[in-house]
Amino acid sequence: MDSMDSRFLLLPIVALTIIQPAQATTYLSIEQAQALMFPRATLTEDFRMLSPAQVAAIEKACDVNVSTNQLRAWKSSTGGWFIADQVVGKHDFIPFAVSLDDNGAVKDVEILEYREAYGSEVTNPKWRAQFAGKSRESPLKLTKDIQNISGATLSSKHITDGVRRLVVTYDLVLAAR
Amino acid sequence: MFRKFAGAVFVTLLLVPFCATAEEPLFGFVSTTDLLPQGKFEEAQWLTWRDGKTAGQFDVVEGRTEFEYGLSNRLQVAAYLNYEWADAYHDNVITGGTLPPATLANLNVGPDDRLNTTRFTAASLEGIYRVLSPYIDPIGLALYLRPSIGPQFREVEARLILQKNFIDDRFVLAFNIDATADWYDVPTGLASGGAVIDRKWDDESALAFGLASSYRFATGWSAGIELQNERGYAGEDPFSTGTRTSVAYYLGPTLHYANEHIFATLTYLTQLPFASDYASSHPDFIVDGRNYSASNERLRLRLKFGWYF
Repeated sequence: MDSMDSRFLLLPIVALTIIQPAQATTYLSIEQAQALMFPRATLTEDFRMLSPAQVAAIEKACDVNVSTNQLRAWKSSTGGWFIADQVVGKHDFIPFAVSLDDNGAVKDVEILEYREAYGSEVTNPKWRAQFAGKSRESPLKLTKDIQNISGATLSSKHITDGVRRLVVTYDLVLAAR
Repeated sequence: MFRKFAGAVFVTLLLVPFCATAEEPLFGFVSTTDLLPQGKFEEAQWLTWRDGKTAGQFDVVEGRTEFEYGLSNRLQVAAYLNYEWADAYHDNVITGGTLPPATLANLNVGPDDRLNTTRFTAASLEGIYRVLSPYIDPIGLALYLRPSIGPQFREVEARLILQKNFIDDRFVLAFNIDATADWYDVPTGLASGGAVIDRKWDDESALAFGLASSYRFATGWSAGIELQNERGYAGEDPFSTGTRTSVAYYLGPTLHYANEHIFATLTYLTQLPFASDYASSHPDFIVDGRNYSASNERLRLRLKFGWYF
């Protein structure tokens, strides 16, 4: 039998011609986030290497995996801490920063960069504002005290978990000094 | 046929870097509960190479060009075109004649004809409704429905999709139960010159169980394994053991890459030697434990790639 309709060979190619690119977005560098979250303050680098015992204690306390034992923290001259970290996104990591007050309660959360195709609603200030005032005693759980963003559930969940992990890390590592 | 498959892949991949964004089917044959967000579009291209019988020549490349849309954050709809390139000759392991692939059963192919054709097989609509999300519920659950209609082919497919995530959602376990009813407009009467003078709609159904797991081992990269158990039935009832016709198992690795621009998934399945043929008496379609009926072959290689816009 002879070939009937080779024009179907063109369908994959035609489909490709209607595409427009999407872009990853860098919102803030670490320095910009520090200036935004601690204006008029001097930040002093205080990086730590978490011991296996500390990692185990953090994971037990917050029920979130600690993917790196490097803690990137800065102490503010006006009181409080700035911590830069990242969580797992759909395809890539989501770098973010948390500012804590002297008691370890969250002042603010900033998304530094978002490289996912969907879910950038987590950068919305109104959603991030939910974290303000949360502390070690807070559930910090998606759909409990943090509202989910439908359509950005994975990012919402992992950022919420990441903030909970850092609040616990403050309590067990930075505040315990 | 491989050159056709490779050529289509090559030309299309050449264009991908100039194109846009992506989301993901983690697996080639098993579905997950991940859907497009509301208001988002995705375009995906599938190419499936089905190769190998123990007799004659058999190669098929199935193509699918698909557009998906997030109607809501729980409901995704899609429309796509299915088309197929087939090359078959003396591939019937029972008679030694030419046996067209099941999707081209409508064609009048003599036992000594060579089938070498490109066909539009069907247009499909698809809806997937997510009941539970694996990110916030104990387990992900979605329901899938896909009617297809072609010039001489009809199909309705329903699927139950389960998904469980582990290790920060980097390890994904998915399970599908798939029920399909097919209708083929097949030639039943031939004039002396070989012209078709009578046709009828033949029906069959299938149940398939798919199990797959995948782990994201590096940024954007996941690797895993898929197992498919396919069970064929005569007639429209896929739940009757009295009408079962075949059982086949396929197993193989899957590799997935995605970033904010594109995704690509490559899955290789090989048939395992645990097949059964209930429709044929001796001889049957089983050779070395594998089923080589019109719906089965030695290996399947599927490439999916796509982007958002």
